[in-house]
Amino acid sequence: MTHSSRLTRRSVIKGGLGLALATTALTTLGLPMAARAAGKKVIIGAFTDGGLTPFKQKIIPQAKEAGFDVEFLEDEYGVTLEKWFADAQSGAGQYDLYLLDDPWVPQFGAANVLEDLGAGGIDGSDKDWIGSMIDMGYWPPQQGPRVKGFEDAKPTLICVPFVGDLQTLTYRNDVFTGGAPKTWDEVIAKGKEGVAAGTIKYPVVFRGVSGNPIVTSWYPIFLSFGGSFFDDKWNPIFNSAEGKASADFFVGTMKQNAPSGVVEFDSDQEGAAILGGEAGVIIQYSGNALKADDPAQTKVAGKLDFGVVPKQEKAIAQMGIFIAGVPKSAPNKANAIEFLKWYTSAETQAKLSEAGSIPVKRSAFGVAKPGNRLIPVALQQLDAGALPRPRTPDWAKVEELLGIELNKALQAGSGGGAALDTAAKQVKDYLTTAGYY
Amino acid sequence: MHGAAQARKYRLQGAGLDLALPYLMLAPGLMIVLGVLVYPLWDGLRASTKIYRYGSPVADAGFQNYLRLWSDAQFLNSLWVTVKFVALSVSLEAVLGFALALFCLREFRGIRLLRTVLIVPMVITPVVVAILFRLIYASDAGMLTVLSEAMGGGEVQILGNPLNAFIGLVVLDVWEWTPLMFLILLAGLQSLPHEPFEAARVDGAGAWRVFADLTFPMMRPVLAVAIVLRTIDAFGTFDQVFVLTRGGPGEATRLISIYGYDTAFKFQQTGYAAALFVTIGLVVLALAFSAIRLLRRIDAS
Repeated sequence: MTHSSRLTRRSVIKGGLGLALATTALTTLGLPMAARAAGKKVIIGAFTDGGLTPFKQKIIPQAKEAGFDVEFLEDEYGVTLEKWFADAQSGAGQYDLYLLDDPWVPQFGAANVLEDLGAGGIDGSDKDWIGSMIDMGYWPPQQGPRVKGFEDAKPTLICVPFVGDLQTLTYRNDVFTGGAPKTWDEVIAKGKEGVAAGTIKYPVVFRGVSGNPIVTSWYPIFLSFGGSFFDDKWNPIFNSAEGKASADFFVGTMKQNAPSGVVEFDSDQEGAAILGGEAGVIIQYSGNALKADDPAQTKVAGKLDFGVVPKQEKAIAQMGIFIAGVPKSAPNKANAIEFLKWYTSAETQAKLSEAGSIPVKRSAFGVAKPGNRLIPVALQQLDAGALPRPRTPDWAKVEELLGIELNKALQAGSGGGAALDTAAKQVKDYLTTAGYY
Repeated sequence: MHGAAQARKYRLQGAGLDLALPYLMLAPGLMIVLGVLVYPLWDGLRASTKIYRYGSPVADAGFQNYLRLWSDAQFLNSLWVTVKFVALSVSLEAVLGFALALFCLREFRGIRLLRTVLIVPMVITPVVVAILFRLIYASDAGMLTVLSEAMGGGEVQILGNPLNAFIGLVVLDVWEWTPLMFLILLAGLQSLPHEPFEAARVDGAGAWRVFADLTFPMMRPVLAVAIVLRTIDAFGTFDQVFVLTRGGPGEATRLISIYGYDTAFKFQQTGYAAALFVTIGLVVLALAFSAIRLLRRIDAS
């Protein structure tokens, strides 16, 4: 890994010098502050997701008031990674900030295309960060196994958490009348009662589509059963007894209590099931959860509550934060870093929380009036346990191999454990080819 | 002496210019062809002989990427799915397109409107077609499920069942691309000479006899061209699968284009993906050459 502090310093100094000159000139001309502020252009690239709605609606206008000229460019999730990776590698310089999905950080980190934000003056050691979130911004990781070639590299802060997304439980409070179900057994048992009473159609709904969707849905169950994905040498151990039990439960019991077409369900169908009043519980990220109180978006407003994900052994969710990185080719690099400092300040994070989005600084969880009921639950979940996906640049392929096998088992409605054995062998073979061992 | 030498020099210069002029005139076009056709092909070939890590080439691979393909179960599966998909959909499109072209050859009231309506699916953007079919196939609120439930049935499983999803994809492709087959074959039928058909009619030949002995043999070259064009195109089918199934359930609809895309962009194995696409390019090229040879044989016979 090479550090880019020379470039960063130079650009920061150049930006600062330019800003000082511009300030002097504009002050001399007697122009108002807003006109000066309009010069701090920041082009933000994001993938379309409901989790960014509060940022777009409430924070961008405040950023403009603070002097940033924010241009917000959205793309469909599926094409974002390739587009940004090509932009960063070719040095095309179309963006100042990428709002990445956190599993992409290792890919961008290993390719060495993002700025060292620590050298830009962003303090990763600030105790106000949610620890598990800021850890995801380092490449190579500060803890856990590292992939070959990065064993001895110094962890560098290349991204900072932007929106603190993670999985939580959404449930029907007229089915689970005693509050959020604590265990998976309770989800199924009380859900069946809800079905028998005609309140709901299915105890549970989840994402069953091959690849990322099904793995994302299975992951918190896997974690709650006590599974671990890799050992410290990158050997797959997800097909342990705990992992197999979780997969059998997922493709068996959970499928039997879900819609028959769940094999083809992605987040839109999953969201429609809970917002349309058909499902008893779902585990979801904040994008759809934010719609739970809006009568225009749900038929069951007032009947949806949030809770920590159910447990078998533990109650651990998957983290999936939006995380911001500045490409080395950014045309307004100094502005981007300045924007991140402003955005991640305790003051702005408090405003983000008030706007209804999950913040990334602990102090912002304590605001008097968080804009969404999900926010305190998200903190409970963080404290109960939330883990990121394994931090390897090859996660997408690993997830694909596992996702296909899980999807096949889900189609059959059985054989989850065997699916994990098959996937573990494929993952091991793939990582061997990729030079992991 | 001096004057003669000067004249000779001018003559040579003139001759040189005459010789160079055509090449100078061709140069801009040649540069464009090199830039937009040859260079990307060369670059793809070069990439296919490299090992990439994290988006950058790190080592020479020789033919290693090409050899690896044949032990990659996912590649072999996607190749098999693609071959099945192409064979089934192009065959159906040829039969249906021919039937429609024969039907629309006749002149009757409303035929112009019918011909126009028949080509509508072909002009709709593939992504939109995929979205339309998702609205039909979705098991939770799709049109088929709604119809089935209205008739007292249950949910219709298309996208969640491997066989049904594959058939559903073929149906989508046939719906979208039969019009192209129809258009080419109709143009072919309209350009056939009238005399042999009039003679056959005078001789009292029936419709089937006319089709079997005249129409089909005379249309074979046109049909072959249409099939070749659609086959090449069908090998590259991407948008519809990307939107409708993303290759699932499992790997049931994972065409080679989807696997290649994932390999290149999602998994960032650029060299391996390049080898995959070069291989598929060679397969399609071989198909095209075979078809051209077949056409020559048909012409000769």
